[in-house]
Amino acid sequence: MSEAEVTPTPTLHLSSGPHIASGRTTAQIMWMVNLALLPALLWAWAVFGWVVLAITLSSILGCVVAEYAVCRIAKNVSTLPDGSAVCSGLLLAYTLPPGIPIWMPFIGGMLALIFTKGIFGGLGYNIFNVALVGRAMMMATFPVEMTTRWLTPAFGNVDAVSAATVLAQIKLGGQEALAKILAAVPDGGQLWFDFFLGMRAGSIGEVSVVMILLGAAFLLWKGIIKLYIPLSILVGVALMAPFSPAPEIYMLGGGIWLGAFFMATDYVTSPTMPRGQIIFGLGIGLLTGIIRNWGGYPEGICYAIMLMNILTPALNDWFRPKRLTADGAPS
Amino acid sequence: MSLLSWSKSALPTFSRGGIHPDEHKELTENLPIEDFIPTSVSLPVSQSLGPSAEPLVVKAAKVKRGDVIATVPGGGVSLHAPVSGIIKNVQTGPHASLVYDTVITIQAKPGEDDPQFPEQAGWQALPVAQMLERIRDAGVVGLGGAAFPTYRKLTLPKDAKVDTLVINGSECEPYLTCDYRLMLEESEKVVLGSWLISKIIGVKNCVIGVEDNKQPAAEKMRQTIAELGLDKMDPPVKMTVVVTQTRYPQGSEKQLVQSLTGRLVPKGGLPMHVGIVVQNVATAIACLEAIRNGKPVLERVLTVSGLGIKTPKNLRVPIGTSVEDLLAYCGGYSGEVVKILLGGPMMGRTIADLGVSVTKGSSGLLFLTAAETSITRYQPCISCGECIDACPMGLEPNRVSQYMEAGRPLETEQFGIRECFECGCCSWSCPSHRPLVQFMQVAKAAYRRHERKAK
Ligand code: SF4
Ligand code: SF4
Repeated sequence: MSEAEVTPTPTLHLSSGPHIASGRTTAQIMWMVNLALLPALLWAWAVFGWVVLAITLSSILGCVVAEYAVCRIAKNVSTLPDGSAVCSGLLLAYTLPPGIPIWMPFIGGMLALIFTKGIFGGLGYNIFNVALVGRAMMMATFPVEMTTRWLTPAFGNVDAVSAATVLAQIKLGGQEALAKILAAVPDGGQLWFDFFLGMRAGSIGEVSVVMILLGAAFLLWKGIIKLYIPLSILVGVALMAPFSPAPEIYMLGGGIWLGAFFMATDYVTSPTMPRGQIIFGLGIGLLTGIIRNWGGYPEGICYAIMLMNILTPALNDWFRPKRLTADGAPS
Repeated sequence: MSLLSWSKSALPTFSRGGIHPDEHKELTENLPIEDFIPTSVSLPVSQSLGPSAEPLVVKAAKVKRGDVIATVPGGGVSLHAPVSGIIKNVQTGPHASLVYDTVITIQAKPGEDDPQFPEQAGWQALPVAQMLERIRDAGVVGLGGAAFPTYRKLTLPKDAKVDTLVINGSECEPYLTCDYRLMLEESEKVVLGSWLISKIIGVKNCVIGVEDNKQPAAEKMRQTIAELGLDKMDPPVKMTVVVTQTRYPQGSEKQLVQSLTGRLVPKGGLPMHVGIVVQNVATAIACLEAIRNGKPVLERVLTVSGLGIKTPKNLRVPIGTSVEDLLAYCGGYSGEVVKILLGGPMMGRTIADLGVSVTKGSSGLLFLTAAETSITRYQPCISCGECIDACPMGLEPNRVSQYMEAGRPLETEQFGIRECFECGCCSWSCPSHRPLVQFMQVAKAAYRRHERKAK
């Protein structure tokens, strides 16, 4: 008797094709983004100390608890393992000043998750970037803590800066403030280099451009993000740089790099087609410049991204893929 | 499509989308085609697209190999007894895609005097009309999987201006190696068949497309073309082999036409509208045998593969061979099989019943284990755009799926559902495992229902 006859018929699954898949999953993507965010956190820990880890943990916890609660209440399958709540928590923490009281990010994370993602229907349905809504809500709720609790970096030349970020000082004091900052740096011309490396005051995840680029390079290599959005943001910001008193600090300071590579590239809230992505990015860049130069805030990328998030559905309608037909028009 | 994925290969391919799944061809590509004849065969009367055939035989009747056992009333593709024997049953039975159909079961009793279909004299010089008749009477359909009646495809409208025959040797579905083996082992038949089809449709130019991962087949085909001297035959045909990039769905008609000739088939049109007729390599062989030997389609070559079968094989089997018999012949299950498919893993169909049998369009029989197939709960769309990048037609499956979930099926036409040929590149790419092809199918069905009601 052959073996085939004794093997029982297996339980057969029926479905339409395809019956194979690329192997990439949403959870994988989210966890790779989380991994790519770690260099910036390590750097923050090195320059600001253990407190940044506590803040980050608090923010992640806020998001995770809220996500769990939302899934329970909506009786949905728990989406915790997909890593998106952790990602929101990480990103929110990265936009916060390192001296902020530790309980605040927890509240901010919870509110952000519930109001941006939870009530809209969970993963994939939010209109705004979760972390940025969190930051905006915290700016409104804790305005003093969000704008004054800066820490002096453990090394670097810009140690005069403890009360506010360089961008805020320039915003308030103009050329005079800039001259004072430059004077405090021994070899004045090297300020941009400190900014590039990350030896400056600022929000937890934004200070080191190098570390952000390291994570971004990993995501590019893995094919998780494409350059259309970040590059056009940088171009948009650069177009507005001449209007600033200190163009190089303007380009390297604030959250532009973190925003361009990690916030604006969020799939859910950004357009899907390259041309839409380029308009989206340019819009963010230009709005950031307008807010910084003529608006009320020293920093503008957060609001610029949120404003462009609103346009995403329209950009997806305006810029459609080219059909494989002689004229290529979507019909 | 992405800034980082500039194509490294200079070989021709189609202009947009496409994917490169794990090939798994190594399981069978070096195994020569083996013959297998089961003790009984079960033939569903519906073997091709179009109206179904009706049985011409009754229980207990005796049939000879090659006898017509079912036909479409009013003319159409007939079905022949693949083996001599006795009709055991004519009754309702399982069908791979229709679920149920009328099935004719024959108990095989091979005899000394079974027809062998030797070469007939003067076949090269037959008038075209007679060649077409032979193709029709032999029950030839597209053997690449589409199963469209070949005589209908080759009977061109009077105003058609066709200048090139494309022979599809792409075999872009993973796992499948039957066309590859045919090109290696029966290259002469492929070339002669292609020559005959060129003659029928009146073209002097024939291009055979073979993917890069089947170089030995391309080499063999080139050799054979040179040996047979196609340019000196009457009529002479310039036959070339073009190696394309290995990229799914290279074997889809519109994609292959673009890869090989650069021509774009218009929306809703056929390759014929840009001067091209496409035929698969196995179909070319069937046409040759129909004309040269008067032999109907009685058997086909298929690949039995997957990690779930003990000994994968390339087999030539009578039409009507059951999955059960093939499973036993190939050593039974290995590991935990979760899906059995007829066809390739991208476009093939799952079966629920081992009694389902091989039809003319079955190019593969796959036994897939959990490790190689994907059975997962799907998640919301995260708008990553992977499905759009992968779609060779430039459609928006993500938005179709969102509209379907929102209960708005009749607003999906704008996203291209009518141009979707269900290749599956979108679903394959989706990190949220969304059943995008299925959403497309359901959307199309909703339109069909709607249009019927409107009438
Ligand atoms: S199945 Fe349809 S929508 Fe999906 S990739 Fe193929 S043609 Fe495009
Ligand atoms: S691949 Fe899936 S998740 Fe990504 S856009 Fe398409 S449907 Fe949405």
